[in-house]
Amino acid sequence: MSYDRRFATTWQLLLDGICTTMGQLDASEPPIVLSSLPDLPYQRDGREGPAPLSFIQGPPGRNIALAIGLRAARPNTPLVLLMNADSVTLGTNHLIHAARRNIGMTLLLLRSELTQHESNRSIDRAAWSLPPVQAQIEAPTRPLDWVSALDAALVGRANLHQPDELATLLARAVRTPGFCVIGVTTDATLPTGVLSQCEWPEYFQAYREWAAPLRQAAAASASAPAVTPRAGVARCEVRIAGLGGQGVKLAGTVLSEAAGLHDGLWATQRGDYGSATRGGPSMVDVVIGSDPITYPNADHPDVLVLLTQNAADRWAGRSKTGAVVVADPAEVKRLPGGALPVPITALAREHTGKPIAAGMVAVGCVAALTDAVRLDALALSIAANMPKALVQANVAACQAGYAATRAASKEVAHV
Amino acid sequence: MSNVCFMHGNEAAAEGAIAAGCRFYAGYPITPSTEIAEILSGRLPEVGGTFIQMEDEIASMAAVIGASLGGLKSATATSGPGFSLMQENLGFAVASEIPCVIINVQRVGPSTGLPTKAAQGDMMQARWGTHGDHPIIALTPSSVQEAWRLSVRAFELAEKFRTPVILMLDAIVAQLKEKVELPDASVQVQRPLPTEPPETYKPFAFTAGGVQPLAPFGGDYRYHVTGLLHDEHGFPTENPETVERWWAHMTSKIEANLDQILEWEEDGLDDAADVDVAVVSYGASARAAAHAVTLAREQGLKAGWLKLLTVWPFPEARVRALAAKVPRIVVPEMNLGQIRLEVERLAAGRAAVQGVHRADGLAITPEQILAAIARAHVALPHGLIPSGDGRREAAALGRSEG
Repeated sequence: MSYDRRFATTWQLLLDGICTTMGQLDASEPPIVLSSLPDLPYQRDGREGPAPLSFIQGPPGRNIALAIGLRAARPNTPLVLLMNADSVTLGTNHLIHAARRNIGMTLLLLRSELTQHESNRSIDRAAWSLPPVQAQIEAPTRPLDWVSALDAALVGRANLHQPDELATLLARAVRTPGFCVIGVTTDATLPTGVLSQCEWPEYFQAYREWAAPLRQAAAASASAPAVTPRAGVARCEVRIAGLGGQGVKLAGTVLSEAAGLHDGLWATQRGDYGSATRGGPSMVDVVIGSDPITYPNADHPDVLVLLTQNAADRWAGRSKTGAVVVADPAEVKRLPGGALPVPITALAREHTGKPIAAGMVAVGCVAALTDAVRLDALALSIAANMPKALVQANVAACQAGYAATRAASKEVAHV
Repeated sequence: MSNVCFMHGNEAAAEGAIAAGCRFYAGYPITPSTEIAEILSGRLPEVGGTFIQMEDEIASMAAVIGASLGGLKSATATSGPGFSLMQENLGFAVASEIPCVIINVQRVGPSTGLPTKAAQGDMMQARWGTHGDHPIIALTPSSVQEAWRLSVRAFELAEKFRTPVILMLDAIVAQLKEKVELPDASVQVQRPLPTEPPETYKPFAFTAGGVQPLAPFGGDYRYHVTGLLHDEHGFPTENPETVERWWAHMTSKIEANLDQILEWEEDGLDDAADVDVAVVSYGASARAAAHAVTLAREQGLKAGWLKLLTVWPFPEARVRALAAKVPRIVVPEMNLGQIRLEVERLAAGRAAVQGVHRADGLAITPEQILAAIARAHVALPHGLIPSGDGRREAAALGRSEG
């Protein structure tokens, strides 16, 4: 690797400035320095032994985001980032968000010494990075203006040829909580010192204060009591299909948890709820059995509950031979052959006043048709899945679905 | 018994991370992984950890690396488009040996693809997504229980071998709800700390088949971290001898420890078993595979299954041995044939390998796999290896594919 002498000198001055700064800080941890460029002064042939500085040479521009993680892990360690204009523009997105969140770090931005303004030319490559015509037609980048506009905690400028001044400003930035940026120039005509300041709580400090009460809340966590495993239940596939707003998803949860948590079986629940919560097609597959469930789709349901005509059109033809189909005749006008008519939505309204309880009626229907689901387990599962005030009415809706399905299947048997 | 609860795969992956001691998460929410961020945004503060929603996945991966260097067990979660953005910094974590866990909940790609639909199409990206040769570990849970357990294991392996570990869920396992038994005993992963003093500590020591404990960065142990190839102190080097020793270290830390890293389950494939077909699969497809093998046995077909839990490094020796024993191997996966290529490579013509593939967002069904198992029982002309979809095989037999 070779760098020109001027570049090497710049790095040496900067690192000297950082070291001087750290000498000025009392009882502070030594800093971590991040840069996309190697710590050139340490690149000596045959160098042995540990580094004098904690130094990360991260991917260009990503150091700002990397420093965010470091800040979370090490809230008291000063983080100093050395960036040239190329790397800061590559990481501008990270700079914007670190500044607006006020995450504690100090950026030293190296300004091109060959131009009259904050330029997108980097200090080491200014001689060749841009053809002259591009330099004339491209607007300069002004990172100090951006961070001022974003209300960074401290925005300043220092002159590289005044290392003490740089060190003083850097020391002030490191002591300032939050996101600080110091432009580094060699242009004697530009103002130096603090250009703007904004007080704002530092992100992770604010986060810790906000989150403190949550740690106490975590102490209380419940778990289900152990249930004796139930043997001899063959794989049973259940599909409930309707519209968003009919409680289909909750029906899947209540059904699968009744079997899996409250009845010693294995159960899976897989849904296709569409992108809308209300009005779009909604479907849930629950598979139950004594053995762990392999394939979790109810492609060939043993019990199929249809809450809408659309669901009937889509799914009725696909259940396996011997499957039991339950359909709400108020919604499904063209009943599939052999389907048990159960007034699911009407029963939901009757017991809860709301059509969203259709799902609870539906799980009652399922319990009436397969030994894999038991009514008492369903009641426990309903109680565990909704506010106390709603439990009684929903259990009643579930029981009504059970009774209506039993009656309907008897009627069919008589016919 | 331990605590029993009902969760979906994303929740299990998040809770597994908490149980393993993950205390930092940076991410950008993306379907179908969003629940992981949502859950950890509440759970991490409860255990004294930190959650941050970053501006994008590039920054998320960088922040995870920074927090891990600083001493926190760290993770992020994403899906294909975000996983693509993470590749740059993922390579930095590999090169600088910084432990971290990336959860990739696979959806159909490329690009934004089918955002809500399941796939297993990032398997090769997990292996080779970041540039250059590199070791990597990737795990593929097929159930909610495994999502929890392998989430814990991902942190164990990441810390033990100082490497990124990718937990490869698919949207089916991620969104599936089922029963999980959580152990009462702690599974918290401890990061080993260096025993030697800072003066003699080599943060990137070239060990034979092991790793140097990672000292928390920014404390008494000062060192240099870089994505450039480096010597044992972390300083960049272009010395070919040092680079060669670096490669030896990087590859041996995984290859010398395969017995600790590789994990799979199998049924009906032991040496004594008489089988005609082995189904090799992973993730949600492995569930359909197990179901298909049950159906096949009911029809009198002699079949077994092998489910990969570690997919990278690949269990080469096991698959090679399998190919020497079983004449036909069926590989179902929700992509156009990624792991099938690995199986074909290892079978090297000794067993006929046939893929069952789909990338339309739907699960591979047991019937599809059963058809492939049955087809694989048809005697093939000598030396003919069926192609992925069986069309070539069918053509050779003078039949058209239904």
